[in-house]
Amino acid sequence: MTNMLEIKHLNKSYNGIPALSDINLSIPAGEIHGLVGANGSGKTTLMNILFGNPIIEASGGYEGEIYFCGKRAAFKNCGHAIQQGIGMIHQEFALIPDMTVAENIKLGRENTMPFTKRLFGQSFSFIDRKKDDAGAQRTLNKLGIDLNVGLKVIDLTSNLKQFVEIAREIHRTDLKLLILDEPTAVLSGSDGLKLIGILKEMSDRDIGILFISHRLEEIQHVCDRVSVLRDGRLVAQYEKGSISINNLAKDMIGHLVEKAAAKKREIGNKTIITFKRFAVEMPGEAIRDLDLDVYEGEILGITSLSGHGKLALGYGMMGMYPVNGEVSYRDEKIARMEARGNIMNGMYLLPDDRQELGIMADQSVEHNIVFTGNQVKNMFIRESCGSFLGFIDRHKSRSHVNKMIEDFDIKCSSVKQKVKELSGGNQQKVCVARALTVDPQLLFVAEPTRGIDIAAKEKILNMLIEINRTRNTTIVIMSSELDELKRVCDRIAVMVEGKIFKILSSDSSDVEFGLALSGEEGAEYEPL
Amino acid sequence: MSHYKLKLPQIIISLFLLLLVVIASALRMDLTALLNQSIVKLVMNGVLVLSLIPMLNVGAGMNFGLPVGIIGGLLGMCLAVNFRMTGFYGFCMALLFSLVFCMLLGWIYGLILNRVKGREEIAGIFIGFSFIPLMNYFWTLVPFKNREMLYPIGGQGLRPRISLENYFNHVLDDLGVITVSGIEIPCGLLAFYALVCVFLYLFFLTKAGRAAIAVGENESFARLSGINIAQTRLIAIIISTVIAGFGICVYAQSYGFIQLYDEPLSMAFPAIAAILIGGSTGKKTFIFEAVLGAYLLQSIYLLTVPIANAILVPELTEILRTMITYGIILYALLIRERRGASQ
Amino acid sequence: MRKREGSPIFNSEYVVPMVFIAVSLLAWQFSGLTGSFVFNQVLNRFIRDGILVLSLIIPVVAGMGLNFAITVGAMSMQTALLIMIAYRVEGLTGILLAIILGVLMSVLMGYVIGVILNRVKGKEMITTIIIGFLFNSVYQLIFLVGFGSVIPVLNEEIILTRGIGVRNTVDLGMYRNTIDKLWLFEIGNLEIPFFMILVVLIFAAMIFYILHTRFGQEVKAIGSSTQTSEVLGINTQAVRIKVIILSTVLAALGQLAYLQNIGMFDVYTAHLTNDIISCAALLAGGASIKHAKIRHALVGVFLFHTLFIVSPQAGQNLFHNAALGEYFRSFVAYGTIAFALIINVRNENN
Repeated sequence: MTNMLEIKHLNKSYNGIPALSDINLSIPAGEIHGLVGANGSGKTTLMNILFGNPIIEASGGYEGEIYFCGKRAAFKNCGHAIQQGIGMIHQEFALIPDMTVAENIKLGRENTMPFTKRLFGQSFSFIDRKKDDAGAQRTLNKLGIDLNVGLKVIDLTSNLKQFVEIAREIHRTDLKLLILDEPTAVLSGSDGLKLIGILKEMSDRDIGILFISHRLEEIQHVCDRVSVLRDGRLVAQYEKGSISINNLAKDMIGHLVEKAAAKKREIGNKTIITFKRFAVEMPGEAIRDLDLDVYEGEILGITSLSGHGKLALGYGMMGMYPVNGEVSYRDEKIARMEARGNIMNGMYLLPDDRQELGIMADQSVEHNIVFTGNQVKNMFIRESCGSFLGFIDRHKSRSHVNKMIEDFDIKCSSVKQKVKELSGGNQQKVCVARALTVDPQLLFVAEPTRGIDIAAKEKILNMLIEINRTRNTTIVIMSSELDELKRVCDRIAVMVEGKIFKILSSDSSDVEFGLALSGEEGAEYEPL
Repeated sequence: MSHYKLKLPQIIISLFLLLLVVIASALRMDLTALLNQSIVKLVMNGVLVLSLIPMLNVGAGMNFGLPVGIIGGLLGMCLAVNFRMTGFYGFCMALLFSLVFCMLLGWIYGLILNRVKGREEIAGIFIGFSFIPLMNYFWTLVPFKNREMLYPIGGQGLRPRISLENYFNHVLDDLGVITVSGIEIPCGLLAFYALVCVFLYLFFLTKAGRAAIAVGENESFARLSGINIAQTRLIAIIISTVIAGFGICVYAQSYGFIQLYDEPLSMAFPAIAAILIGGSTGKKTFIFEAVLGAYLLQSIYLLTVPIANAILVPELTEILRTMITYGIILYALLIRERRGASQ
Repeated sequence: MRKREGSPIFNSEYVVPMVFIAVSLLAWQFSGLTGSFVFNQVLNRFIRDGILVLSLIIPVVAGMGLNFAITVGAMSMQTALLIMIAYRVEGLTGILLAIILGVLMSVLMGYVIGVILNRVKGKEMITTIIIGFLFNSVYQLIFLVGFGSVIPVLNEEIILTRGIGVRNTVDLGMYRNTIDKLWLFEIGNLEIPFFMILVVLIFAAMIFYILHTRFGQEVKAIGSSTQTSEVLGINTQAVRIKVIILSTVLAALGQLAYLQNIGMFDVYTAHLTNDIISCAALLAGGASIKHAKIRHALVGVFLFHTLFIVSPQAGQNLFHNAALGEYFRSFVAYGTIAFALIINVRNENN
């Protein structure tokens, strides 16, 4: 029997950086195939290709062959993929907020009055609301959900929204392959089981299922086969019966090279900042309930799978997103989360999205480095012309900038060179220089080495270590590069679904990290 | 220093201008007189074009609500005329009054614009458009005493066109004119224009100015750096409004009349088209682009008049002018979004 | 215009019409006009402007905001009419041909506008205003300069004495008011032109129908969330173009209704303020930049035009200056739109 989905030698790069390398995967009809992988493993790219997301085409397409139901497939847009019988349940819910549950379930497949169809064609035939509502209700009943189909989606809880998303796909009669992207992430215990029951029933009807999840226990329970992606490659595949959570965890992370870690040292337990039930509403990376004490002088790492909250901490601190909960800095509660106040008090954030948030691309190196210091702390002001006007004292700023360039070895043709012309590594150095200009006591750094070449990565990490050792600056690094965190940090906090799951020491094993990232507890699970 | 992204259209426009000049000389028109007029027109309209820069730089888009600032300037001039302030002194007082009115109007305008981030341009159009009929009440009911300003007999309120003949007509135009082989260089006028340019240049070197540029270039970056976005925008919008007020004063003293009522309705579009012609992309704009664009557009406007009269139908002037104006703006809207999307 | 921060329950769908009702009643008191006069006038505006206002609905539902480029549809129909008149095609043939030609031109123009708007996602409203202005200049170029010079005209009556350019006003004698008087009922002092009211209602029904088809669901989906619609397989670009084509064609037909009601054809000004007035009327009925329903259009025409009709006389009686009433009208028209823009964005940001 031909496989429903056959992927051969799939390759995809973004701007020359490979996201998927030589992927070979096949899913026969009726198989529930699991897909696991950590940050940057290529899961999202693979899904985008399968579902015809236009971003693939826009970034240069892909190489390799995909066969769907025996025929060569190349989906240029989502409509095309949907027509062929592919359905997708999106992590972020593809639901139209202002429409009702029934409308969402039936979107594109509404029941219409037959005589108008004959007169005006499919697109312009009159919709039979009653039939639509009834059909939607039936599907929801099958899911065991009690919901008024006339409610607008925007008014529903996340759990219910997920079910409506699922109902939309289950309702289809032409579904051949269903892709689920982290579907149980928002479903609480028993709801998750309900979903798994439905999936099994679908697989009995020969619908192929691609099930992507970070919850290793579910994967083990539900899937017929599991593939593990790491760094764009397929590194392992397991059959039902030999799926072990520990193995999956280890495969996801890979064998970490044991480089020399920063010497273990004693950190005093004076806390510099404490978070109590802290929440940040950052779309896609929300922090739900954070309790954390950060000790003065330490380098603390925060890591998680993507979307589980590690990046949101710094942004929440700087007032970029709405926050909740209590934060005490040096034993004083912070009343308002906003950048200016926090910077004046000694906090600072180096954002992960350098291009968008970290630099003024069109301004000079000099301008960038002195900017925050000048704006917030009135540094480098020329006194003579009236300090309220705030003309920059060229002399002062120039000498400071030159010192920074020398200290950090920032490669630029002159202080006037535009930052966008520098390499990624040097841009990051400019950001660090700007941070140091305001002399922070608590520095939040997000993805410090993203988009930077190998050599420069080391330099940036060493810069951070040095700042910590010489100025006693407390540093909180939010990163997905476990390898780097282990080398640099004193402790590493692992977040799962918006909360701190575990705090590990930097010499914990791969398996421990893999399990923690997946939110799995112990090592006692035997393969089923 | 070539940051001018709108390269091709600038070339096209310049060639078009050249074409018009060739036609004009072929028709044996007085090129010297046209040149003299073009310099005057440059400053007359140029200050209004300069007023767009602060708002563009701070990211509040093209100021389609220019009528707000213009009305502030009209108020200032009317007050000065009412108190019979004449000559250069009268003009300065008009500027002073305009300053006060525009600061107030700009503040309110800025508060509103801060609430419509992302839609400043369309909101600006209608804020300006609805402010004008509101002011029409004012012009009709204001208890000004100066007979020369009021309707002659039977009418109520101010005249639509108030002659500046006895007040500060041409005070800048005639100030310090140097004639070099037929070409008249109005030094006073140019000096005023240069003054506004220098002011803008210096402003963007101050702390507030640099904050404004940062907000315009990358608002999230600015927020992360602790800048008060709302306040920065407000300052920029107020400055834009004040310069617009000055702009209409310069315009009126050159034109010879204060034009009230519905006149300001269409004044925003030529100014915006000018700055776009000069190379502005709707974001950070250089002073040079404003100057260049003003000169190019005004010269084209100038040349269409005699040519249209000589060759074709007189209404063609106005039609061609509006076509160029709106065509430029539409083109800029398309290009800007394309570039914005590809980033 | 200068509103303080509204309370969260500030629902413009009901407040705006209420304000209009209140102010209209007040102005009506001051105007001294009889109820029946006002009623007849407003009903006349309803049949005159109704379709134009209806043409704005679908673009709003599609999330494209107020379509100020309906002037282009109006100009297309006017062009068609002028061509018929220029070549002396009279009577029923003339009108039918004009309609066909006008609709065809509107489809073409609508397509062009749709393509342009697909490139300026997020700035549709300001683009449609500029498009309207630009096309107006082109229109003037054709008729003021082109007709009689490069374009030969058979009917000399419509050309200016100098030989080039169409006159400011063209007589629609051959087409005037024929259907207006159809089925004209009179109840006391009130005149109710049933046929035209029916026509407007039929158009309203058409829009209702369209919005309840599969196509209509796609339109609503795009209006709610374009990004999500893309992922759900909807061809957003194509739908948006179709929406604008529909809107432009409806506007053309609406302009025809408008012209045949007035009877005189002001070639250069008939289409000019229709976009603003229609948008203001729609908003007056309780619509917003993002949500518009048919009832908003129908009610809005009544509310807005009542105020429009009584203002000048009220101004005359209150201040002995009718011009003040005129200013009020302009202020209401522009101000309603400004208000809708300001309030709506606040709601979005919330």
